[in-house]
Amino acid sequence: MSWHRSSRTYHKWLMLFVGLQFVIWSISGAYMVLLDIDYIHGDSLVIKHQAPLNSEQINYPIAQLYTDHPDAENLVLTTLLGSAVYRFSEGKAKYLLSADTGKLLSPINEADAKQIAKHKYAKSNAKVTQVSMVIDNPPRELNARHLPVWRVDFDDFASPSFYISVESGELVTKRHSFWRLFDWMFSFHVMDYIEEDASNKLLLIVTLSGLIASLFGFVLTYFRVFRAKKNRQNKTRRVI
Amino acid sequence: MSLVKSIHKWLSVLIGLQLLIWLGTGLFFNLMDHNKSRGNEYRVKSAGYSVIEHDRLLTLNTILKQSELKQPVNTIKLIELLGKPYYLLNHYQGLYQHFYNEHTLVNAYTGEQVIINDEMAQALAHNSYSGNGEIRSTQKVSPPIVDFLKEKNTVWQVAFDDKLNTSVYIDANSGRLVGHSNDDKRFADFFFMLHFMDFGSTGSFNNWLIILFALFTLVFCLTGVIWVLELLSKGRYQRAFSKK
Repeated sequence: MSWHRSSRTYHKWLMLFVGLQFVIWSISGAYMVLLDIDYIHGDSLVIKHQAPLNSEQINYPIAQLYTDHPDAENLVLTTLLGSAVYRFSEGKAKYLLSADTGKLLSPINEADAKQIAKHKYAKSNAKVTQVSMVIDNPPRELNARHLPVWRVDFDDFASPSFYISVESGELVTKRHSFWRLFDWMFSFHVMDYIEEDASNKLLLIVTLSGLIASLFGFVLTYFRVFRAKKNRQNKTRRVI
Repeated sequence: MSLVKSIHKWLSVLIGLQLLIWLGTGLFFNLMDHNKSRGNEYRVKSAGYSVIEHDRLLTLNTILKQSELKQPVNTIKLIELLGKPYYLLNHYQGLYQHFYNEHTLVNAYTGEQVIINDEMAQALAHNSYSGNGEIRSTQKVSPPIVDFLKEKNTVWQVAFDDKLNTSVYIDANSGRLVGHSNDDKRFADFFFMLHFMDFGSTGSFNNWLIILFALFTLVFCLTGVIWVLELLSKGRYQRAFSKK
């Protein structure tokens, strides 16, 4: 068989098996490049408030904090809903303290979580549809190290959710429909539907077959576009 | 049908080369050593943790009062650099650490403001580095930073002369370790640049060139599938078998 004919046969047969994955690659790839990654990551849903501290708010000194919590680590003084607070960790556990009184504010309750989420949400008039606590079995979109968290769902375009740490009151992550879909697109793009890991055997086999199939396709393009043109030119020349 | 075939043929001319690049780089991502491509061959958790003497710490009110007048302070973090405690004052906070932030670093015992100079940057870099290279150069770099395109803060680049050409990046205002980069990571980054058609090295895959190519490729693959379906319906796949 000539290069032209054998390429046609191999391209035809290989694409019968991997052609569908090419469609999946092109759909998922197009989705991922078309939607701005910062939008996908929900950055436009969050306001990072510049909330200056006021020394009058701090009546519980740091020395006292270390007396009461000698193992405190990663200490930070910040504001939460207008009040000065300390955040720190002890081993894996995180704590939130009032910087005014030293009173323990964590674990935070549902009403606080809702208020924090609304405060950080980009649209001030957004409605919260549901608040639920996730203690174990996190959904696919939530890293288990953030647990326990409050999930606050908003009644807004693309169903955004904010995840607020029960222990620290921090916004640990956020999701919306387009990000959820993006994650699915990525797993279909790398052909790992559980771990989203690009180093898997299935992807290797399909990519290799696809690469070979495409190289045969390249040969076909050569014969049908470039050689065809040459043939036509030769013919024209002969006619002249 | 001839239109479908014609579109498929001419799109193959247009996107063929990039399609091979996508498959080739995709194959590379599948096979590459993910630990090496992170650039953290010589990265270690900074050593030399010392006990903070809590009774020597200045009160946060003192710190606030001395800086409040100059700039508002959003947060004060107690951090430890090279075994010494510092207060890290944030004046402007970005959504993430690698977004633009404004910081002042203050000695937590004395309240003195500390500016990270090249010497301190070198010490911080050494503290996170386990290789046996010597420091070759130290320079302040403003974004865009070739090794860390997403970083939006000015950093110190401390380059070592080891066999991987490791560079360590330290946030010039906060002392935060931005990360390590080396030739393995740069090699992988080059393949990502090709895969994302990010020929201007902006660190993003949302560029108009790849969007255009992605749409062409989508049409290309769909016409291909239609072609396969047509061959199937005409029994052309069986005939190839029976010939053999």
